[in-house]
Amino acid sequence: MFHWLEKNPFFFAVGVFLVIAFAGVIEILPSFAEASRPVVGLKPYTVLELAGKNIYKNENCITCHSQLIRPFKSETDRYGQVSLSGEYAYDRPFLWGSRRIGPDLHRVGNYRSTDWHENHMMDPKSVVPQSIMPAYPYMFTKMADIDTAYAEALTVKKVFATPYDAPNGTKLGTLEESRAAALEEAKVIAADMKNKEVKDAVARGEIPQIVALIAYLNRLK
Amino acid sequence: MINLVEVQGYARIIMTIVLVIILYGYILHLYRSEKKGERDYEKYGKIALDDDITSTPVEKNPNLHQKKEGEK
Amino acid sequence: MQSNAALEYDYSVAKLFTYATILFGILGMSVGVLIAAQLAFPELNYLFGEYGTFSRLRPVHTNTVIFGFMISGIWATYYYLSQRVLKVSMAESKFLMFIGKLHFWLYFVGALAAVVSLLLGISASKEYAEFEWPIDIVIVLVWVLWGISMFGLIGIRREKSLYISMWYFIATFLGVAMLYLFNNMEVPTYFVSGGIGSIMNSVSMYSGTNDALVQWWYGHNAVAFVFTVPIIAMNYYFLPKESGQAIYSYKLSLLSFWGLMFVYLWAGSHHLIYSTVPDWMQTMGSIFSVILILPSWGSAINMLLTMKGEWNQLTENPIIKLLVLGSTFYMLSTIEGPIQSIKSVNAIAHFTDWIPGHVHDGVLGWVGFMTFAGLLHMAPRMFKREIHSKKLIELQFWLQTTGIVLYFTAMWIAGITQGMMWRAVDEYGNLMYSFIDTVAALHPYWVIRTLAGVLYLSGVFIFAYNMIKTMTSSKELAQEPKNQSPMAA
Ligand code: HEC
Repeated sequence: MFHWLEKNPFFFAVGVFLVIAFAGVIEILPSFAEASRPVVGLKPYTVLELAGKNIYKNENCITCHSQLIRPFKSETDRYGQVSLSGEYAYDRPFLWGSRRIGPDLHRVGNYRSTDWHENHMMDPKSVVPQSIMPAYPYMFTKMADIDTAYAEALTVKKVFATPYDAPNGTKLGTLEESRAAALEEAKVIAADMKNKEVKDAVARGEIPQIVALIAYLNRLK
Repeated sequence: MINLVEVQGYARIIMTIVLVIILYGYILHLYRSEKKGERDYEKYGKIALDDDITSTPVEKNPNLHQKKEGEK
Repeated sequence: MQSNAALEYDYSVAKLFTYATILFGILGMSVGVLIAAQLAFPELNYLFGEYGTFSRLRPVHTNTVIFGFMISGIWATYYYLSQRVLKVSMAESKFLMFIGKLHFWLYFVGALAAVVSLLLGISASKEYAEFEWPIDIVIVLVWVLWGISMFGLIGIRREKSLYISMWYFIATFLGVAMLYLFNNMEVPTYFVSGGIGSIMNSVSMYSGTNDALVQWWYGHNAVAFVFTVPIIAMNYYFLPKESGQAIYSYKLSLLSFWGLMFVYLWAGSHHLIYSTVPDWMQTMGSIFSVILILPSWGSAINMLLTMKGEWNQLTENPIIKLLVLGSTFYMLSTIEGPIQSIKSVNAIAHFTDWIPGHVHDGVLGWVGFMTFAGLLHMAPRMFKREIHSKKLIELQFWLQTTGIVLYFTAMWIAGITQGMMWRAVDEYGNLMYSFIDTVAALHPYWVIRTLAGVLYLSGVFIFAYNMIKTMTSSKELAQEPKNQSPMAA
């Protein structure tokens, strides 16, 4: 048998493929069903939060920040309760990260506030003098992409049956409705902010990226 | 309902054993066929050393001059 | 044979990929040095406005070196050595020549588009799979072209048995194809929602923990199939050919091939230690990672023993030096990896600089050296000129070796320091350090790391200069060299 494989490139290739593929099948598939159940009370992201999450995703904040609190006392003391699998049920993609150049952010919403983030994202050194985090001033002038976030929510609702519009859940509705809802949420956040440009933009009915990002960070609890 | 994770555990352990057997079978195969004089594996090392386009192949590909067999 | 008297191997595609390797090598590693410097001196984040932050550039660095430098390096060597070990020239088939060229150009354009998309802040945030779906499709096409090209060449080969390097290339092809496809399963939101929002955006087919499982199954094994398997393929060809010694034990090479295939893919779950995947799976991940030492060392020892009785070449031939030291770094990083995946070590090492440290002694030492050595070996044969300068190779070798050693020692210390500081408690059980203390403590190591990067990068520039000189102005060769590559002092 072995001899034959060595001489037949095609079956050789099939053999290699089977060997490498089956590991994946056994390793990954069975845990799929278990791991995807959301924890009780977990609501899907609102459109504004999703827009913020997309900024987090597109800017690759995961290069410096994890979102995974491991079961050690030193971590739970520092960041809060251990992360549970079901808490990530609506995270597509997952944003655990692999490197903590900055601190874990999985529960940052518990101990940082809107105005703290505002100052920090504008200029991290003004809040933490030794910080090496880059400043993101352009997020105060660029607008968040609410439409894409809506498209994403609609997609996960349709394709993965994410419970939008369920009783007591997150409401999605039509594009117009979600734009309006996102703006309402943004107004609440902007009320806690000082930056004049941001306040003006929200008053005009536009939503700067920073507002969406803060909505997302505040939700991380 | 059977617990999927348990199935996974068993599948994994069984497959590991199977693979170990195959791998050891392969070692045996390699050394046996060389002892019996059926094949000489080390000669394939020459494929890299003597690799001009005009060199004689270590083993000629028989399919080349015949009709193609579906093994591409 | 008579009719083939004028037939020659055709290196036109190999040459194109060689140029791309050099270009992407310089690009990717320069960005690497810049982002290393940004951690030590954060002001450097603001050189290029929003396009210059660490978070935008880090994926540019990883993807340029993986999919730019490394993949073109693989293909440069593949298009060179596959013809030789199959004893068939690409020139014999117009179709394969066309596919080969198409393969290169589609790849090149795709790679440039990919870099631009990352700079623009379009990212799927899955490490080493950051590209959004349109670029994924290009990558799949490029991959299919490679498959056609490879199996086409195999179909018209003169040598019946496939040399071991070809085994590894086939495995690379299949492995990456499978991993990449499954990890990048994503749904473009534009189409499902009926044309709302950005066309580039997509959601992953998997969510949360599942996504993490797939991602690290990919992440770990893509490293296997891009950074290990094809490099072994190169080494099994270039080391024997350059030294004139056949592989020490061909049987061992076959064995370690299957060993590697069986074991490697099982080890992926060690990236998930102490996460929310089931306990026993994490344990299995660790155990298999430890078993993984055996096949990796099987290959490495085989390579080193190939030099048996010919160790004098090590001092005489800098290409041999690169190849042998590369194999040694391979042994180092394949023992370091399993150590990191032991649970208690991982508890400290995970999320720290030790992990990038580990990656870099593999990629700078093993992958980088093998690629440079392979291209240097190929140059006199492809361009029919002797290598421009032996001294420059020596200089490159020493600069880069110093760079690597500095790099990984700095990262080891940094990683362990930070890991220990995160968990340090005082006598009352309270955490001793605030997070920012642990960042500030790393500053000196980050400076050293930057310096190490500069050393390695200067080596790359020297290499590029040497190659360009070889291509353009070196002494012409009347005859193809048999083994040791001719080089001017
Ligand atoms: C170069 C690495 C780096 C990048 C990239 C980065 N950060 Fe940070 N971040 C840090 C560091 C270091 C700290 C700790 C010092 C500080 O608070 O500024 C930090 C702190 C934070 C904090 C405060 C957490 C706490 O517990 O105090 C938040 C929130 C944060 N970052 C959000 C972000 C977001 C959002 C992004 C992406 C747009 C981002 N960071 C990108 C390095 C980074």
